[in-house]
Amino acid sequence: MRLSRWLWLGLALVVALILAIAIGTISVPISAIVDAFRGGQSTPAVVVRSLRVPRVILASLVGAGLGMSGAALQGTMRNPLAEPYLLGVSGGAAVGAVIATVLGFGFVFVPIAAFIGAIVAVIAAFFVARAAGSRGDARVLLMAGVVVGAFANAAIMVMLANAEANVVRNALWWMMGSVADATWPQIGTLFGYVLVGGTALVLFGRRIDVLSLGEDAAAGLGLDVDRSMRDVFIVSSFVAAATVAAAGLIGFVGLVVPHIARGLGARQHRALIGASGIVGATLVVLADLLSRVLRPPAELPLGAVTALVGVPFFLAKLRHLR
Amino acid sequence: MIRFDEVAVRYPRAASEALGGVSFSATNGSLTAVVGPNGSGKSTLVRALIGRVALSRGAVHVDDRDASTMERAELARDVAVVTQREELAFPVMVDDYVALGRFPHLGIWRSAGKPDRQAIAESMESAGVTELRDRRIDALSGGEWQRVRLARALAQGGRALVLDEPTTFLDIGHEMAVFELLNRVARKGLTVLLVSHQLNLVARFADRIVLIHRGLVAAEGTPDEVMRAEILERVYEWPLVVTRDPAIGAPALVPLRSR
Amino acid sequence: MLRADPPSPYRPSVRHLRSLIQGFVFATVLVGCQRSDGDGAPAADLRDDYGTRIALMRPPERIVSLNPTTTEILFAIGAGKRLVGRSQYDTFPDSAKVVPSLGPALRPSVEAIVNAKPDLVILYASDDNKAVFDRLRQAAIPTVAFKLDSIEQFRRDTKILGQLVGDTVSARIVVDSVSATLDRVRRATSSLPRPSVFLPTWYKPIIAIGGGSFMSELLDIAGGKNIYASALTPTVTVTLEDVVTKNPDIVLVGQTDSTIQKSDAWRAIPAVRDNHVKVVDFDLVSRPSVQLGAAAVSLARLLHPGAIP
Repeated sequence: MRLSRWLWLGLALVVALILAIAIGTISVPISAIVDAFRGGQSTPAVVVRSLRVPRVILASLVGAGLGMSGAALQGTMRNPLAEPYLLGVSGGAAVGAVIATVLGFGFVFVPIAAFIGAIVAVIAAFFVARAAGSRGDARVLLMAGVVVGAFANAAIMVMLANAEANVVRNALWWMMGSVADATWPQIGTLFGYVLVGGTALVLFGRRIDVLSLGEDAAAGLGLDVDRSMRDVFIVSSFVAAATVAAAGLIGFVGLVVPHIARGLGARQHRALIGASGIVGATLVVLADLLSRVLRPPAELPLGAVTALVGVPFFLAKLRHLR
Repeated sequence: MIRFDEVAVRYPRAASEALGGVSFSATNGSLTAVVGPNGSGKSTLVRALIGRVALSRGAVHVDDRDASTMERAELARDVAVVTQREELAFPVMVDDYVALGRFPHLGIWRSAGKPDRQAIAESMESAGVTELRDRRIDALSGGEWQRVRLARALAQGGRALVLDEPTTFLDIGHEMAVFELLNRVARKGLTVLLVSHQLNLVARFADRIVLIHRGLVAAEGTPDEVMRAEILERVYEWPLVVTRDPAIGAPALVPLRSR
Repeated sequence: MLRADPPSPYRPSVRHLRSLIQGFVFATVLVGCQRSDGDGAPAADLRDDYGTRIALMRPPERIVSLNPTTTEILFAIGAGKRLVGRSQYDTFPDSAKVVPSLGPALRPSVEAIVNAKPDLVILYASDDNKAVFDRLRQAAIPTVAFKLDSIEQFRRDTKILGQLVGDTVSARIVVDSVSATLDRVRRATSSLPRPSVFLPTWYKPIIAIGGGSFMSELLDIAGGKNIYASALTPTVTVTLEDVVTKNPDIVLVGQTDSTIQKSDAWRAIPAVRDNHVKVVDFDLVSRPSVQLGAAAVSLARLLHPGAIP
């Protein structure tokens, strides 16, 4: 992708960040934003520093992680409908979060439980695929992920069916996704995952280029196909699980963003994954902004807004495919 | 240079072996063709070579080294394999596609240098696809794509070329062009091992033919030795005659109407 | 129904008040019960908060009350011994715990209710309970539903409950006693400056008490100003930013070691940062029942220390 395109992408992200910081229940002028960074104590400055900046940073990290994860998975599985929650990440994370909520653990433990749940689900998907006799066959793994996800949904319904109204509300709210509760420790953890995981995925880019030729052809070019696929699955799932732990279930981002990046001209996977990171960050930051302004003073759930924004994009893409 | 030594393969949950102990060699500077009816195990041989199926017995040797003990990238630098099918989910440009052939040499880290770019250019020239350089793969015809795949294999720069049905989708002219290219490449010293349906073309260009039937070698030798009506009729289970056209100088198979 | 923290033990001072009322009611019932209900006339004829008419031929002897407020009111007007079933949340007064629990207050099990063979069932009038309401009526079990969101509804529904159980005198005593306390508190705080108050009942998402809730009325009586009093609903979902903009003087929380005080984001509210956070006994304050008076007193003591002796 040409350098100018990269610059435009970066600029779009910066503009989105500024808009998201400035706009909300109160409009914050640029002067107040500057004041906030200098430690001002006026209400707008405090709002910016304590509330908007953390959530905007969390939103961009979530978007970057999901975008990169989605791009890597689509190339590896040679499937334009692949997305980061594929291997049971969303189902497993939801089960973990609901268990923590039902058992009455504090809000602090829900993200940890969600992360563990996601990883357990991915491992379960691998085992299911192995039991079905595949050797890393992408389609069998996909189906195993669907199976694990279905099981997780059933488990969630059983747990919530007889739970108290409060528990159900907590669980639902978590599942709908939100960056409203951004805390700096959470941001730091997610930053670590996205930085390390994202770098790894970008470095896997060439391997994914080879993988996208098909498994036999990739083997013929000297790639250890099973190991490369496994590496991509593990890293993407960890990154996706980390985003879910931090912000709940944010759908559609990992699915749509790689297509947008491809539409912008990124072809080889190194560039594609990197561009998907930037596009994903921009998309989620804008979605968070929308979630705050569409129905004041309440917020719409972030996961709902990303789906609403993602659907028209996807429809446009489908029409273009024809 | 490539030697199959009593290679046997059984697919999981299969009733019988796909390959029941196949032995033959393909030597430097020659074109060896593997032929046989559908389902005889020809493609399995190729997959055994690149390690996509597990061998239940025997071994594949490349230059007297067991292929299963070689590191994959090392094997890929030596032996370029073009499989029968490829599924591309996303559009790729032809020049990026051919450039992937250098992956065994470049690995994950290095960028393409002058020798790499030269190899790519030369291979595209040999395969006759240089003018397709800026096209998208999904915009090519079947034949054009086959030749681009051939270019990629040549770009791998190995001493051996293994191809599984490389002339599918090709019309007569392009088919001949491919076989002539493979012949030239073999004369230059490469080992060419090819799986093909096209008995008559194989008979004209191959130095040795290996006839596979139900996972076993039914016949092996020069085209004259293998292209015999009694052998071929038994294997293909169809009445045929073998003629020899003086213009061509090689045996040709003509299937008859069923009795 | 609005409960963010686990309940705390009943306050002794109110228990004394309760015993006084019950003793007085018992005496009055002995004297006046015969006179207030004529023989041969229907014992009660009125509408509940679903709008349904209910006609009881005689006072009920086996009552199922699936609502902490109505259970408490029934005990206060002396009808506690007629209870044969309660919801799992009805734990006040202590004597209520002896009554068998029939499960949740929202969407309770119809079977469990029918098994208790009640001749009157009292439900909370929310949409969730409509289906159960209809099923019970189809089974010919007299059922009423009460909303109980505001202080006026408390007054009205207590009187209706009194009519239902055939003891309007006790009901009136309870209502008057509560009204008297509320008036006393209002008079004590009316001339004092009114701090603005934020009272959240949930944190994820942030749900605040709105103007349509009795709690907002209590805040007003206690000399405070609910920052969301303009919202007409009992609760309103808001964002942290919105609260920061409204800048309340005082934030009320349910327990000392709450989420708010541990969170950095909440410190954007100046009241939290400057530690103007006061702990309110949610259990006392969360039901518009006979404790309304005591609730108003406790709130007034938080907002205006020293104003109420």
